[in-house]
Amino acid sequence: MILAFASALPLALNAQKFITKNGQISFVSVAPLETIEAHNDQVNASLDMASGDFNVKVLMQSFEFKKSLMQEHFNDNYVESDKYPNSSFVGKITNIRDLDTTKDGTVTVQVKGNLTIHGVTKSIDAVGSFQVTEGTLVGTSKFTITLSDYNIAIPMVSSGNISKTIDITVKFTLTKLS
Amino acid sequence: MKTWLKILITLCLAGIVSAFLFNHYVINKPHPDYEKEPAKFSLKASELYKQYTTDRKTSEKKYNGQLIEIDGKYTRVEKSDTSSIVVFAFNQGMFGDEGIRCTLLPKYKTAIAAYPKGSEVKIKGFCSGYNDTDIILTKCSIQK
Repeated sequence: MILAFASALPLALNAQKFITKNGQISFVSVAPLETIEAHNDQVNASLDMASGDFNVKVLMQSFEFKKSLMQEHFNDNYVESDKYPNSSFVGKITNIRDLDTTKDGTVTVQVKGNLTIHGVTKSIDAVGSFQVTEGTLVGTSKFTITLSDYNIAIPMVSSGNISKTIDITVKFTLTKLS
Repeated sequence: MKTWLKILITLCLAGIVSAFLFNHYVINKPHPDYEKEPAKFSLKASELYKQYTTDRKTSEKKYNGQLIEIDGKYTRVEKSDTSSIVVFAFNQGMFGDEGIRCTLLPKYKTAIAAYPKGSEVKIKGFCSGYNDTDIILTKCSIQK
Protein backbone atom coordinates (compact mmCIF):
# COMPACT_ATOMS: atom_id res chain seq x y z
CA MET A 1 0.00 0.00 0.00
CA ILE A 2 2.87 2.32 0.85
CA LEU A 3 4.44 1.51 -2.50
CA ALA A 4 1.19 2.25 -4.30
CA PHE A 5 0.96 5.59 -2.50
CA ALA A 6 4.60 6.42 -3.25
CA SER A 7 4.19 5.66 -6.95
CA ALA A 8 1.00 7.75 -7.17
CA LEU A 9 2.55 10.74 -5.40
CA PRO A 10 4.49 12.19 -8.37
CA LEU A 11 1.33 11.97 -10.49
CA ALA A 12 -0.62 13.80 -7.80
CA LEU A 13 2.04 16.52 -7.64
CA ASN A 14 2.13 16.84 -11.45
CA ALA A 15 -1.67 17.12 -11.51
CA GLN A 16 -1.23 20.43 -9.70
CA LYS A 17 1.14 21.84 -12.30
CA PHE A 18 0.20 23.66 -15.49
CA ILE A 19 2.84 24.48 -18.08
CA THR A 20 3.58 25.84 -21.53
CA LYS A 21 6.73 25.87 -23.62
CA ASN A 22 5.13 28.10 -26.25
CA GLY A 23 4.29 31.13 -24.14
CA GLN A 24 4.14 34.50 -25.88
CA ILE A 25 5.80 37.73 -24.77
CA SER A 26 5.66 40.96 -26.76
CA PHE A 27 7.09 44.33 -25.92
CA VAL A 28 6.70 47.76 -27.42
CA SER A 29 8.73 50.94 -27.12
CA VAL A 30 6.89 54.08 -28.17
CA ALA A 31 9.31 56.99 -28.72
CA PRO A 32 8.84 60.30 -30.58
CA LEU A 33 10.66 59.09 -33.71
CA GLU A 34 9.91 55.40 -33.74
CA THR A 35 7.73 52.60 -32.38
CA ILE A 36 9.62 49.35 -31.91
CA GLU A 37 7.94 46.00 -31.30
CA ALA A 38 9.32 42.52 -30.70
CA HIS A 39 7.73 39.11 -30.19
CA ASN A 40 8.84 35.84 -28.65
CA ASP A 41 6.64 32.73 -28.75
CA GLN A 42 9.03 30.17 -27.26
CA VAL A 43 8.66 31.08 -23.61
CA ASN A 44 8.55 28.51 -20.79
CA ALA A 45 6.02 29.13 -18.03
CA SER A 46 4.80 26.98 -15.15
CA LEU A 47 2.11 27.41 -12.52
CA ASP A 48 1.86 25.28 -9.40
CA MET A 49 -1.79 25.30 -8.31
CA ALA A 50 -0.95 24.16 -4.77
CA SER A 51 1.62 26.82 -3.91
CA GLY A 52 0.81 29.52 -6.48
CA ASP A 53 4.43 29.45 -7.67
CA PHE A 54 4.59 31.00 -11.12
CA ASN A 55 7.87 30.86 -13.06
CA VAL A 56 8.82 32.07 -16.52
CA LYS A 57 12.01 31.50 -18.55
CA VAL A 58 12.82 33.56 -21.64
CA LEU A 59 15.64 33.31 -24.16
CA MET A 60 16.47 36.85 -25.26
CA GLN A 61 17.75 35.72 -28.69
CA SER A 62 14.23 34.41 -29.44
CA PHE A 63 12.77 37.92 -29.67
CA GLU A 64 11.96 38.76 -33.28
CA PHE A 65 11.90 42.32 -34.58
CA LYS A 66 10.57 43.70 -37.84
CA LYS A 67 13.95 45.19 -38.69
CA SER A 68 17.10 43.10 -38.63
CA LEU A 69 19.22 46.04 -37.41
CA MET A 70 16.92 46.57 -34.40
CA GLN A 71 17.28 42.90 -33.50
CA GLU A 72 21.07 43.17 -33.73
CA HIS A 73 21.17 46.29 -31.53
CA PHE A 74 18.80 44.71 -29.01
CA ASN A 75 21.01 41.63 -28.62
CA ASP A 76 24.44 43.23 -28.98
CA ASN A 77 24.10 46.68 -27.38
CA TYR A 78 21.14 46.68 -24.99
CA VAL A 79 20.40 43.31 -23.38
CA GLU A 80 23.84 41.84 -24.26
CA SER A 81 22.34 38.42 -24.88
CA ASP A 82 25.77 36.81 -25.26
CA LYS A 83 26.50 37.64 -21.59
CA TYR A 84 22.91 37.33 -20.34
CA PRO A 85 21.13 34.83 -22.63
CA ASN A 86 18.20 34.20 -20.27
CA SER A 87 15.67 36.35 -18.49
CA SER A 88 13.33 34.99 -15.87
CA PHE A 89 10.42 35.70 -13.58
CA VAL A 90 10.20 33.81 -10.31
CA GLY A 91 7.15 34.62 -8.27
CA LYS A 92 3.72 33.73 -7.03
CA ILE A 93 0.08 34.29 -7.78
CA THR A 94 -0.92 35.59 -4.40
CA ASN A 95 -4.63 34.86 -4.79
CA ILE A 96 -4.21 31.37 -6.28
CA ARG A 97 -7.16 30.13 -4.20
CA ASP A 98 -9.48 32.22 -6.40
CA LEU A 99 -8.46 30.19 -9.46
CA ASP A 100 -10.59 27.07 -9.89
CA THR A 101 -9.31 25.06 -12.87
CA THR A 102 -12.47 22.90 -12.92
CA LYS A 103 -14.80 25.85 -13.50
CA ASP A 104 -14.86 27.76 -16.81
CA GLY A 105 -14.61 31.53 -16.45
CA THR A 106 -12.20 34.43 -16.03
CA VAL A 107 -10.35 35.22 -12.81
CA THR A 108 -8.27 38.30 -12.06
CA VAL A 109 -4.97 37.43 -10.40
CA GLN A 110 -2.28 39.34 -8.51
CA VAL A 111 1.27 38.40 -9.48
CA LYS A 112 4.28 39.25 -7.34
CA GLY A 113 7.89 38.21 -7.78
CA ASN A 114 11.38 38.88 -9.08
CA LEU A 115 12.06 39.76 -12.69
CA THR A 116 15.64 39.23 -13.90
CA ILE A 117 16.74 40.93 -17.12
CA HIS A 118 20.31 41.78 -18.19
CA GLY A 119 21.61 40.14 -15.02
CA VAL A 120 19.64 42.54 -12.77
CA THR A 121 16.83 41.31 -10.51
CA LYS A 122 13.98 43.61 -9.47
CA SER A 123 10.80 42.97 -7.55
CA ILE A 124 7.64 43.57 -9.57
CA ASP A 125 3.88 43.41 -9.05
CA ALA A 126 1.40 42.96 -11.85
CA VAL A 127 -2.27 42.27 -12.36
CA GLY A 128 -3.32 39.62 -14.81
CA SER A 129 -6.17 37.33 -15.65
CA PHE A 130 -6.70 33.66 -16.30
CA GLN A 131 -9.42 32.46 -18.58
CA VAL A 132 -10.31 28.85 -17.77
CA THR A 133 -11.77 26.81 -20.62
CA GLU A 134 -12.20 23.06 -20.17
CA GLY A 135 -9.15 22.79 -17.91
CA THR A 136 -6.88 24.97 -20.08
CA LEU A 137 -5.70 28.23 -18.52
CA VAL A 138 -5.00 31.23 -20.75
CA GLY A 139 -3.11 33.77 -18.66
CA THR A 140 -2.61 37.34 -19.87
CA SER A 141 -1.03 40.40 -18.33
CA LYS A 142 0.34 43.80 -19.28
CA PHE A 143 2.93 45.70 -17.30
CA THR A 144 5.64 48.32 -17.77
CA ILE A 145 9.33 48.23 -16.90
CA THR A 146 11.92 50.99 -16.83
CA LEU A 147 15.07 50.13 -18.78
CA SER A 148 17.44 51.95 -16.40
CA ASP A 149 16.21 49.66 -13.55
CA TYR A 150 17.90 46.81 -15.41
CA ASN A 151 21.10 48.73 -16.25
CA ILE A 152 20.08 49.04 -19.89
CA ALA A 153 21.42 52.38 -21.08
CA ILE A 154 20.06 54.20 -24.12
CA PRO A 155 22.66 56.42 -25.83
CA MET A 156 21.70 60.09 -26.28
CA VAL A 157 21.75 59.67 -30.05
CA SER A 158 18.99 57.00 -29.81
CA SER A 159 16.86 58.73 -27.17
CA GLY A 160 14.32 59.81 -29.79
CA ASN A 161 14.02 56.25 -31.07
CA ILE A 162 13.83 54.20 -27.88
CA SER A 163 11.53 54.86 -24.94
CA LYS A 164 12.84 54.80 -21.36
CA THR A 165 9.94 52.56 -20.42
CA ILE A 166 8.83 49.40 -22.20
CA ASP A 167 5.30 47.99 -22.23
CA ILE A 168 5.25 44.21 -21.95
CA THR A 169 2.33 41.93 -22.85
CA VAL A 170 2.32 38.24 -21.96
CA LYS A 171 0.03 35.39 -22.97
CA PHE A 172 0.49 31.87 -21.66
CA THR A 173 -1.77 28.98 -22.65
CA LEU A 174 -1.14 26.57 -19.78
CA THR A 175 -2.15 22.92 -19.89
CA LYS A 176 -2.07 20.37 -17.11
CA LEU A 177 1.22 18.49 -16.91
CA SER A 178 0.46 14.83 -17.50
CA MET B 1 27.05 75.53 -66.53
CA LYS B 2 29.43 76.98 -64.00
CA THR B 3 31.93 74.63 -62.38
CA TRP B 4 30.80 75.34 -58.82
CA LEU B 5 27.22 74.52 -59.77
CA LYS B 6 28.28 71.22 -61.33
CA ILE B 7 30.18 70.32 -58.12
CA LEU B 8 27.18 71.27 -55.96
CA ILE B 9 24.76 69.18 -58.04
CA THR B 10 27.20 66.22 -58.04
CA LEU B 11 27.56 66.45 -54.24
CA CYS B 12 23.78 66.63 -53.77
CA LEU B 13 23.23 63.60 -56.00
CA ALA B 14 26.00 61.67 -54.22
CA GLY B 15 24.37 62.56 -50.87
CA ILE B 16 20.93 61.39 -52.02
CA VAL B 17 22.34 58.12 -53.40
CA SER B 18 24.39 57.52 -50.21
CA ALA B 19 21.34 58.17 -48.00
CA PHE B 20 19.28 55.76 -50.09
CA LEU B 21 21.97 53.05 -49.96
CA PHE B 22 22.50 53.54 -46.19
CA ASN B 23 18.77 53.30 -45.58
CA HIS B 24 18.38 50.24 -47.81
CA TYR B 25 21.46 48.23 -46.78
CA VAL B 26 22.00 49.34 -43.16
CA ILE B 27 18.84 50.76 -41.54
CA ASN B 28 16.38 48.49 -43.36
CA LYS B 29 18.67 45.61 -44.21
CA PRO B 30 16.71 42.39 -44.48
CA HIS B 31 16.85 39.56 -41.98
CA PRO B 32 19.23 36.77 -42.98
CA ASP B 33 17.73 34.14 -45.28
CA TYR B 34 17.63 31.40 -42.65
CA GLU B 35 16.52 28.85 -45.21
CA LYS B 36 19.25 29.43 -47.79
CA GLU B 37 22.26 30.51 -45.74
CA PRO B 38 24.71 27.69 -44.97
CA ALA B 39 24.76 26.34 -41.44
CA LYS B 40 27.81 27.17 -39.37
CA PHE B 41 27.65 23.86 -37.51
CA SER B 42 26.17 20.48 -38.44
CA LEU B 43 25.82 17.69 -35.89
CA LYS B 44 23.55 15.00 -34.43
CA ALA B 45 20.62 16.35 -32.40
CA SER B 46 21.63 14.09 -29.51
CA GLU B 47 25.19 15.44 -29.63
CA LEU B 48 23.98 19.06 -29.47
CA TYR B 49 21.78 18.25 -26.45
CA LYS B 50 24.67 16.43 -24.74
CA GLN B 51 27.00 19.36 -25.27
CA TYR B 52 24.56 21.94 -23.85
CA THR B 53 23.67 19.81 -20.83
CA THR B 54 27.25 18.87 -19.96
CA ASP B 55 29.04 22.16 -20.70
CA ARG B 56 26.46 24.91 -20.95
CA LYS B 57 28.82 27.91 -20.93
CA THR B 58 31.01 26.63 -23.75
CA SER B 59 27.98 25.57 -25.82
CA GLU B 60 26.24 28.94 -25.33
CA LYS B 61 29.36 30.71 -26.54
CA LYS B 62 29.71 28.38 -29.52
CA TYR B 63 26.12 27.92 -30.73
CA ASN B 64 23.91 30.78 -29.42
CA GLY B 65 23.00 33.13 -32.24
CA GLN B 66 24.30 30.76 -34.91
CA LEU B 67 22.59 28.96 -37.77
CA ILE B 68 23.01 25.24 -37.08
CA GLU B 69 21.89 21.99 -38.67
CA ILE B 70 20.90 18.95 -36.64
CA ASP B 71 19.74 15.49 -37.59
CA GLY B 72 18.14 12.64 -35.70
CA LYS B 73 14.88 10.83 -35.01
CA TYR B 74 12.26 13.36 -33.97
CA THR B 75 9.81 12.58 -31.18
CA ARG B 76 6.70 14.55 -32.19
CA VAL B 77 5.32 17.73 -33.73
CA GLU B 78 3.48 20.25 -31.54
CA LYS B 79 1.12 22.91 -32.79
CA SER B 80 1.03 26.23 -30.96
CA ASP B 81 -1.14 29.33 -31.57
CA THR B 82 1.44 30.63 -34.01
CA SER B 83 3.61 27.79 -35.29
CA SER B 84 4.58 24.11 -35.57
CA ILE B 85 7.40 22.81 -33.40
CA VAL B 86 9.45 19.68 -34.09
CA VAL B 87 10.52 18.14 -30.77
CA PHE B 88 13.55 15.93 -30.15
CA ALA B 89 13.13 14.55 -26.61
CA PHE B 90 16.14 13.16 -24.75
CA ASN B 91 15.24 13.44 -21.08
CA GLN B 92 12.34 13.58 -18.60
CA GLY B 93 12.32 16.53 -16.21
CA MET B 94 10.03 18.29 -13.75
CA PHE B 95 8.03 19.78 -16.62
CA GLY B 96 7.75 16.86 -19.02
CA ASP B 97 10.25 15.87 -21.66
CA GLU B 98 13.34 17.91 -22.39
CA GLY B 99 15.44 18.14 -25.53
CA ILE B 100 15.51 20.34 -28.63
CA ARG B 101 12.51 22.34 -29.88
CA CYS B 102 12.59 23.53 -33.49
CA THR B 103 10.03 26.14 -34.56
CA LEU B 104 9.42 25.71 -38.29
CA LEU B 105 9.23 28.52 -40.82
CA PRO B 106 5.56 28.82 -41.98
CA LYS B 107 6.28 27.19 -45.37
CA TYR B 108 7.48 23.97 -43.63
CA LYS B 109 4.41 23.58 -41.38
CA THR B 110 2.85 20.99 -43.67
CA ALA B 111 6.13 19.56 -45.08
CA ILE B 112 6.89 17.82 -41.79
CA ALA B 113 3.86 15.57 -42.38
CA ALA B 114 5.94 13.72 -45.01
CA TYR B 115 8.20 12.47 -42.20
CA PRO B 116 6.42 9.91 -40.00
CA LYS B 117 6.77 10.36 -36.25
CA GLY B 118 10.09 8.89 -35.11
CA SER B 119 11.74 9.08 -38.51
CA GLU B 120 15.12 10.68 -39.28
CA VAL B 121 14.93 14.33 -40.17
CA LYS B 122 17.53 17.01 -40.81
CA ILE B 123 16.61 20.50 -39.63
CA LYS B 124 18.43 23.82 -39.96
CA GLY B 125 17.60 26.73 -37.67
CA PHE B 126 18.77 29.73 -35.66
CA CYS B 127 19.90 28.68 -32.19
CA SER B 128 18.47 30.96 -29.47
CA GLY B 129 20.07 29.03 -26.60
CA TYR B 130 19.17 26.74 -23.71
CA ASN B 131 16.40 27.65 -21.26
CA ASP B 132 17.14 25.05 -18.52
CA THR B 133 14.85 22.49 -20.15
CA ASP B 134 15.28 22.76 -23.92
CA ILE B 135 17.56 24.06 -26.65
CA ILE B 136 15.52 26.37 -28.86
CA LEU B 137 15.93 26.60 -32.64
CA THR B 138 13.79 29.13 -34.52
CA LYS B 139 13.22 29.90 -38.24
CA CYS B 140 13.73 26.23 -39.00
CA SER B 141 13.69 24.58 -42.40
CA ILE B 142 13.67 20.89 -43.24
CA GLN B 143 16.78 19.91 -45.17
CA LYS B 144 16.77 17.15 -47.77
